This record gives sequence, structure tokens and C-alpha cells, in this order.
Amino acid sequence: MPIDTREVEKIAELAHLKFDPQELERFVGHFQQILEYFTQLETVSTGAVSTENVQYAHQAVEGKNRATPMREDEVRSSLPVATALDNAPESSEDHFQVPPVIE
Amino acid sequence: MSEIHHLSIKQLRDLIQRRDASVTEITESFLNRIRQCDDKIKAFLTVEEEPALAQAAQLDRQLASGESKNGLLTGIPLAIKDNIVTQGVRTTCASRILENYIPPYDATVMSRLKESGAILLGKTNCDEFAMGSSTENSAFFPTRNPWDLERVPGGSSGGSAAAVAVGEAPGALGSDTGGSIRQPAAFCGTVGLKPTYGRVSRYGLVAFASSLDQIGPVGNSVSDVALLLQAIAGSDPQDSTSAARPVEDYLGEIDQEVKGLKIGVPKEWFGSGLDGQIEQSLRAAIKKLEGLGCSLLEVSMPQTEYAISTYYVIAPAEASSNLARYDGVRYGHRSADQTDLDSMFKSTRSEGFGEEVKRRIMIGTYVLSAGYYDAYFIKASKVRTLLRNDYHEAFKKVDLLVGPTTPSLPFKIGEKKTDPLEMYLMDIYTVTANLAGIPGLSLPCGFSQEGLPIGLQIQAPYFQEARLLNLAHTLEQELAVQKQELAV
Repeated sequence: MPIDTREVEKIAELAHLKFDPQELERFVGHFQQILEYFTQLETVSTGAVSTENVQYAHQAVEGKNRATPMREDEVRSSLPVATALDNAPESSEDHFQVPPVIE
Repeated sequence: MSEIHHLSIKQLRDLIQRRDASVTEITESFLNRIRQCDDKIKAFLTVEEEPALAQAAQLDRQLASGESKNGLLTGIPLAIKDNIVTQGVRTTCASRILENYIPPYDATVMSRLKESGAILLGKTNCDEFAMGSSTENSAFFPTRNPWDLERVPGGSSGGSAAAVAVGEAPGALGSDTGGSIRQPAAFCGTVGLKPTYGRVSRYGLVAFASSLDQIGPVGNSVSDVALLLQAIAGSDPQDSTSAARPVEDYLGEIDQEVKGLKIGVPKEWFGSGLDGQIEQSLRAAIKKLEGLGCSLLEVSMPQTEYAISTYYVIAPAEASSNLARYDGVRYGHRSADQTDLDSMFKSTRSEGFGEEVKRRIMIGTYVLSAGYYDAYFIKASKVRTLLRNDYHEAFKKVDLLVGPTTPSLPFKIGEKKTDPLEMYLMDIYTVTANLAGIPGLSLPCGFSQEGLPIGLQIQAPYFQEARLLNLAHTLEQELAVQKQELAV
């Protein structure tokens, strides 16, 4: 299915990205080419096939059930606030600082 | 004795144990090699010269006083891909968005290497966020192939593979989401292993595609790779997808008899897209397996032709979600071009990410968006299941699979950079192992007429790394590939 500039702009909005007109033009071309290649997937018959993930392959191998591994809900120490703020572009007191959200 | 920087990890361990060389001498030797070559190779983004020497001196003191723990890697300097976080050492993912990021913690693999006594030499270049097959997508500079400086080292772990090939480090860690350890290993004439999904903890590996990512070793020999895997493998409470299964004795089992093993050769892996010289070299190597008493069997992997589409739907989908965290709030670049929160997010991400990363975020966002989710993401997930079934069927008949690592020889820098799809097609023989979650290893099997390395890939069922390393080691000895002259 063809994709146009407007559609790409809409996706960019969802992804919190922006492109200048030249970038956008190049992008649409590549996007189109890649999506065309993906159309080969339509030819594969996948009626009743499951979408089960491989993430728990090791459990499958061992014949265990695939429930999400759980741990005890115990209070544990976490990163000290000052350390967590070390890489912040802007911070104030014990907080990350961002542009005003409320007028 | 050949120069220290051309010795294997195993040989370096012997030197240290016999006190024939100090850890400081060994570390100096690799730092010298970096000074000598890295202007041309550009494998490193950060070199930890002083900390490495300080740690070496400390280990020497401990060894002299008998206080040293007998670690698996005591005194071995290693290079680490720059998408694996290292406490207090800049970790950029070769991206502008993390250009000045100093992690407050170590990845589990780093903690394990440190416990084993290894020394961090530096952080290696890669494609930005591990997205690419040539290391040209690094936001800082491309890395060059040590056998021909005009050519790419492969990617995304191109810095790790090039550093090991040229003797800037005796071993390295990389990460492999669709071939990012095996493909550069093949292009640089080194051994590279992607372990089974879950064999090595991903805690502290900057996430690209979480159902595909796996950390693994790069070395100049199969036994060095086995040793590195031994040090990093095992379950980790910090990664719920790591396997509880005990770690095997990889080095201990490496010399086992391979006679009687059944080796599958997938017919779809030798199609028209495969370079003639690579095919010739592989066929010769596969023949050697027969000589070793293995039986060869042709098998079929019918979903191979859909692997690239499947991978390039699923990996970008996961990436688009994983990379949402780069918003200029908690760490990384923040744009000055902003009027409100929303424009801050957009400007930050648009300035901070390179073209390929943006492309993958866009593809991922698209295939997950309303109206396209079923047609692309669900469809690809189903084809992924079919592809796993291909492996399941094949491994009912054979113990291991062999084939190419790459369809082509290392290409020229810039040759494929303007055509993203052509670059994606480079991953055809590697992505299938990630999609299925099985282990795969690239072994040097020869050189082309131009003097470029060729890699052979061996794949194994889940958690059969010991057998995989056993066959690779035996074949490595049998092939005894004569290394050609490095370009530096």
C-alpha cells in the first residue's frame, strides 16, 4: 500500500520526531521501498499459527510453564536520588526539571 | 614468543600464571597497540588508559603477595561494546543523544567480568543503538576493516570485532539482535558467538529489541570465546528472561569427539544471493566435517526468504517502544529549541537520533499503529513462529546446522549506506537465529582472492552452546586458516 507525506508526518507525530522537507522526501521514498518489501509476508499462510514469543524459550525447553517469573515483593534500596539526577539535563532540588506543563 | 598483543587469552593467562609477564606489561602492550593502530581503525569510542593501568598495577600487587583470587580472566584486558553500561565510564551507544551519559551502574556482564579479574580497556564503536550492519551509523565516525581500510568491519559490533582482529584487545563483548556479533566477526576474521536467548543476562545492555537482543563474546579463537562465555553466562535476578539452567563447562567440553554428529546444511542458505567465493570456501570447510566423521544431511528452512521482512517488522516495533525513553528529561541530550514539553521532546529526539535510528522508530511506530498492527506486527509474529518451527523440524534430524554468516564479502565504506533495504538484506543468514532464540557462531573459514575474511556459521538448538563450541573448535583446528597480512 502506498504511503504519502501526510501519513509519514502523522507517524512522526506519534513517534515525537520531526523532519525538514528534504529529509521528509527522502524518508518517504525509503519508507515506501521497505513497506513494499514487507508485502511478501502477505503470501505466507498463517491462519491458525500462534504468536507466542520466544522470550521464555528456556522454560519451554525445560518443559516448565511459561508464567512470568516473579520475585518476593520486598523493600529494597534503590539508586540514591542525587545519583539518579547526575545525568539529568536540568534538575531542581530532588526533581527532574522540564518546561512548564501548566500555564 | 610472538608479540603480546597477538597472543590468545589462554596464552595470556599462562603468561600471568607463570609470572612470565606482569598484568601491567600485558595491559601496556594492548594500550600501545591501540595508540599504534586506532587512528586508522577507529574501533574505540573511549579508551580507559589510566584506570586500566591502575587496575593492572593493583592486580600485580595482589599476585605478588598471593592475595589474588584465581579468577577466570585475571589480568585480561577486554574491550566492551558501547551499548553495555559501565559504571562511571561514558556509554554512548554511538549516539549523540547519549554522548555524555555516565551510567550509575554496571551491566551484569560487566560485574561478572570484574569478578573474574578482567580489566576494562575501553568502549568500542558500533552502529547507533546497534542499528546497522557496517558501523557506518555511528554518530561519531565509521570503524574500518583491519584487512582493508577502505571497507566496513560489519556491524553493529564492528568496533569490538575490529579491535580483536587487529590485536587492540584479546577479546571483546558485543551484542547481537539480528547478527551484530556474527556478521562483524565474519567480516573481520574473528570468532563471534550469539548465545541462546536467556543464556546471558541483558541487564545493562541498552535495549534495542528486547525479544531478540543478546550479549556475546568476540575472540581470535573458539576457545577464547568459550572462556569469555563461561565468565558471563548464567541466570540473573535482574533479568527475568535469563535462564535458570546451570552453565556448562564450555572449555572442558571443547575437545570432545565430534565423530558421529549429524550436521544439517539448509538448502535455502546456498541460494542465488550468496557470493561465489564464500560458497566455495564454505563447501570446502563443510567437506572437512565429513573427514572428521560427521554425517552431512541437506535440510530445508522454507521460511528463510521471509526472515528479513519478519525481522524488520518486529525489531523496529520493539525499538520504537524501547527508544521512547529518550526524551531529554532524565538523561541524555536535551534540545535548546523548545517552547513547551512537547516541542522539547520532538526537538531533543530529532537532534539526538541519527537517520537510521529515526527510520526504525518510524517503521516500528507504523507497524504498531491502529490499522496496521494486524497486517504487519501480528503477521510477522506468526511468521516468526513458523520460522521457529523450521528449526524445530530441522533439529529433529540433525545436531547442528552449518551455512554462511554473510551473503557477501566486506563491502566498501559508503557503498550501501544510501540504500537501507540493501543493507537490511545483509542480515539474511543471521536474523533467523535471533527470531528463533537459538545460538549461532561465526568461524573464520578462509580468505577471498582479495584477502578478505570469510565466515562460516554454525547454529545449534537452545542451550547447546557446549556442542556448538566443540564442533567450531574442532573445525577451527582442522581448517587451520592461514591468516593474511593485516592492513595495519
